[in-house]
Formats: sequence, C-alpha cells, structure tokens
Amino acid sequence: MIYFTLTVFVLPEQYLSNEQLNPQPYFEVELSESEISLGESFRLNIVSENRGDYGDIHIVSAAFPDLIEIGDVIEIVTYDFTQSPVYLVPGDEISYGYSSGLESTLSKYPSIEALNRPIQSGAKNHFEFVVTPEKSGIFTIYVKSVDIPHTSNLSHYPYSGVLDHQDEYVLVYLVNVNP
Amino acid sequence: MTISESKTPQKFLKVHSDQIFLLGSILTSFGILLVTVGGSWDITNHLLNKPETFFSPPHALLYLGVAISLVGVILSLFGWKNLQNFKELYSISLKIKLIGISLLIGAGPFDFIWHSNFGLDGFLSPPHLTLITGMFLCSIGGMIGISRYLKINNFKNTLSNYLLILAVLPVWLSGTGMISSLSLPFSNTDYFEFNPEPTFALLIATLAFPFLISLSMLLVFRLSNFRFGMMSILGGLFLLIYSLTAIVPNFAILDSTQFYMLNLIPFVISDIILLLNKSRKSLIFVGGLLGSIFYMVYYPYVMYTFNEVLLGKLVSPSLIYFVYFELIESVLMYAVIPAILMGIFAAIISEKFSKKILMSKL
Repeated sequence: MIYFTLTVFVLPEQYLSNEQLNPQPYFEVELSESEISLGESFRLNIVSENRGDYGDIHIVSAAFPDLIEIGDVIEIVTYDFTQSPVYLVPGDEISYGYSSGLESTLSKYPSIEALNRPIQSGAKNHFEFVVTPEKSGIFTIYVKSVDIPHTSNLSHYPYSGVLDHQDEYVLVYLVNVNP
Repeated sequence: MTISESKTPQKFLKVHSDQIFLLGSILTSFGILLVTVGGSWDITNHLLNKPETFFSPPHALLYLGVAISLVGVILSLFGWKNLQNFKELYSISLKIKLIGISLLIGAGPFDFIWHSNFGLDGFLSPPHLTLITGMFLCSIGGMIGISRYLKINNFKNTLSNYLLILAVLPVWLSGTGMISSLSLPFSNTDYFEFNPEPTFALLIATLAFPFLISLSMLLVFRLSNFRFGMMSILGGLFLLIYSLTAIVPNFAILDSTQFYMLNLIPFVISDIILLLNKSRKSLIFVGGLLGSIFYMVYYPYVMYTFNEVLLGKLVSPSLIYFVYFELIESVLMYAVIPAILMGIFAAIISEKFSKKILMSKL
C-alpha cells in the first residue's frame, strides 16, 4: 500500500513539479551575394547557438522552396554539428507540434537539417553551404532553428515571420539570379 | 610421453565432466548477462546521442558477452561428450545452447553488414532479432544446465543455490529485450519502418511484461526449493542493472533513481509472504502482485509504448519522466487488471516450468 501510494501518487507529483529544461535556439546568417549571374555560386553561412538551458536536440533547417530536388545545387562546405545532416525530399513525413501531441505532414520542398544531440548551453555550431542555382530568377532559402525539449515559444527561432510547410516561422533569404 | 600420462587429460575430463558442463553453463549465462547489459546500455546510448557506427562501447560489451557465451557453450559440449551419467538429462540444455550460440555468432557479421549498408539501425531489425533470439535461447540453455546440475548433485540447501540467480537473471533480461523490441517505437529508420503497430505494442507490453516479471521471480523461488531471499536478490539485481544502464547514463532523469529503487519493496514483500506461507494461494497472490508493478519496474522505457497510444507526445531524453509520470495513473487504470491476471497466470505456469526444468522424477 505504501509502495503504491509513493510510486503512483506522491513521487509523481514531486517530479512533475520540477522545472523542465528550456533551451533557446538562435542563429545568424551571412549571405555572400544578394545577386549573381546564372552559373555562378553564392555562400550561405549559418552560425547557430543555444542561448538557453541544456537541450536534448538542436536543429537548424535550411529549406529551398524553389527546388524539387537538391541535386548538385547545394553543397555543404562547413559542418560541425554532432550528427550527420539529414536531407529531406518533397513527400517525406515531417513532424510538428512538439509541445503538445506530435502531428505530421508531408514535406513540400527539399531541405537540409543540421542536428546536435544533445546541445550544451551556449554552444555554437556552424553550417555553411554553397549554392549554384540552375535557373534564373529569385532563389529563396528558408532558415529556422528548433530546440527540443520544446517548452515555450522561445524553443523556436525566429519568433515571427513567414510560415513554412510545418507551420513554423522561418527567416527568408533571397538571391537574385540573373540570366 | 607415456601412455598413462596421455590418458590423464581424458581421465580428468571424464571425472569432472559434469563440473565442466556446469562451468560451461555458468559462462553461457554470464556471457548473456553481459550481452543484455550491453544491449540496454546501447538503447540508452541511441536515445541520448545516436551512435552512427558499429564500434561503440556498448557493442564491445555486447560482443564480449557473446565471446564468453561461446566459450561456455564449447565447454558445455566438451563436458557433455565426456559425461558418464545423466547424459540424456543435460542434452536438452546443450541443444538449446548450440542453437542459441549459432544465432548469436551469426548476428555479429549480420549486424555489421546491416550497419554498413543502412547506417543507424532500429531496435527491431533482422540482425537484432537474431541476436535477441540467440540470447534468449542461450540463457534458457544455461538456466536448464545450472538447475539440473544442482538438482542432480543434490545442492538443494547449500550456497550453490545462489547460482540460480545467475541462471534466471539473463533469462529475465533477454526476455525483456525480446518484449521491448516488439513493443517500443524505436525501430523506424531512414530505410525501414519496423516500429510495431502502437495498439499491438501496448497489448504486448501490458501482457508480456507482467508475465515475465512474475515468471522469473517465481521460477527462481521454485528452482531454489522455496529459499527465502532469492526473489529479493534477483529483483534487486534486475533493478540495479536496469537503473545503471537506463537511468544513470541520462543525467536528466538521474534524480528518479530513488523512485525506481522503491520497486525493491514488492520484491522483498513477496519474499516475506512466501516465507510465512508457501500455499498455492500465497503463490498466486504474489504472482498477481508482481504482475501489477510492471509499469514501475520497466521505468523509463515502457512509457514510450503507452505514450504512442495515450498521448502521442514527442519525448526527448530530458522529458522522459515528465511524460512517464503524466501517464502513470492512466496506464495503471487500463493495465493493472490484465497485468495482475498475467502475473497469476505466470505463477501457475512457473510450477509446470520448474517441474520440467528440474525433471521432478529425478
């Protein structure tokens, strides 16, 4: 009786009253060019950081809504995250709604996810790639970062902006590709 | 070398053949114990930082265990070949061990090839299932070998009976591995979706874990001729291994060790009940009691199975106990009755199993 009282009622209350970790992602992006000619390349350098508590997972995602496949258009040149990058293609199942019940949807465009498992407080990581567009026009890149556990609005960066296919805010970077 | 000298090893083998068989069984069981410890550590490692290569410390411990088990099975074979008496009684133990070790050895290169081709693999994958089946069979073979040796040599009331803990613990742990692989949602990868269907997984966990706890505990009790303390030691060692491999490596849930160690209480209480009264009713009561605590004994990982159906939350390592404790009342509400019934069923089955293992006509 004492055992069941302690394990089912007393201790759970105690543990549930502990504060959850609150990691807070942040990143800065440096774009080498805002305008290029077709056939030329530009670089996009992301420096990401955890400004909150220790986190289980730190994700930086760079998505390319103008592309159908990444192919030879994107080449990663600097990468110091602990896990290998994950390449997502249109149609892949992707999750969102990390705080409540996890939901999933299908990816509409390709993206690359850089992952750290775990991420220490204050840790910085670098993710740089070279882009060589294959057609002229505006080349768009969406960048966002998510930390897990996702305990508040600060577990995602940016806090506002354009919503992507996961219904999450992204920062948008545009490069004009001249014919 | 004289003829008499050359015959000495043969003579030694013949005189000590049953002890060699026992040593082989002990090493087989001990090897599997290491394999299960390595396996549980490996799961935690995957959850915390996802190793992407074959060469990791848990894998090293796991395959050291396989090597020790292999030595154990070879010794068992040598011992058995030279047995003068009871050869037939030990043959089932040897056969099971031989099948088990073949699967274990085959699983090594299979796993390496799998990792090389598909990178990170899930918990339930063809090489892992081969490994777990091999582990389970080897541990069963080791348990039968040890139990029969003690029975044949009439070690009923001596300290040697404590070897039965080494005999049953790997069976419990490898059985846990098998049930976990069929119920935990850790098996989807980039290449394969081997996660069990959530409702099926929940049923497996609800029915099989209580059965296994109760069966293991009552089996060691019966095999040791109702010796007091066996269940507490066995249960205590299980809790120790599980806490060291599944709780302690994850600093975010380290403070829940005190919660986990409370599980020693029902194990000790079961021992005390059966010390005071060894009737069939008491055994059935203890079976039900041991079945009812499965959600606590299998903390933290069992939560993932129930979360899939009841909450569907994303559970990262630091959130494990928040989700676990959020679920505890609901899980017990749904699962405690079937868990008790499975515990009682195991209590009944344990009698038949122990009689078969000990061949009561001996």
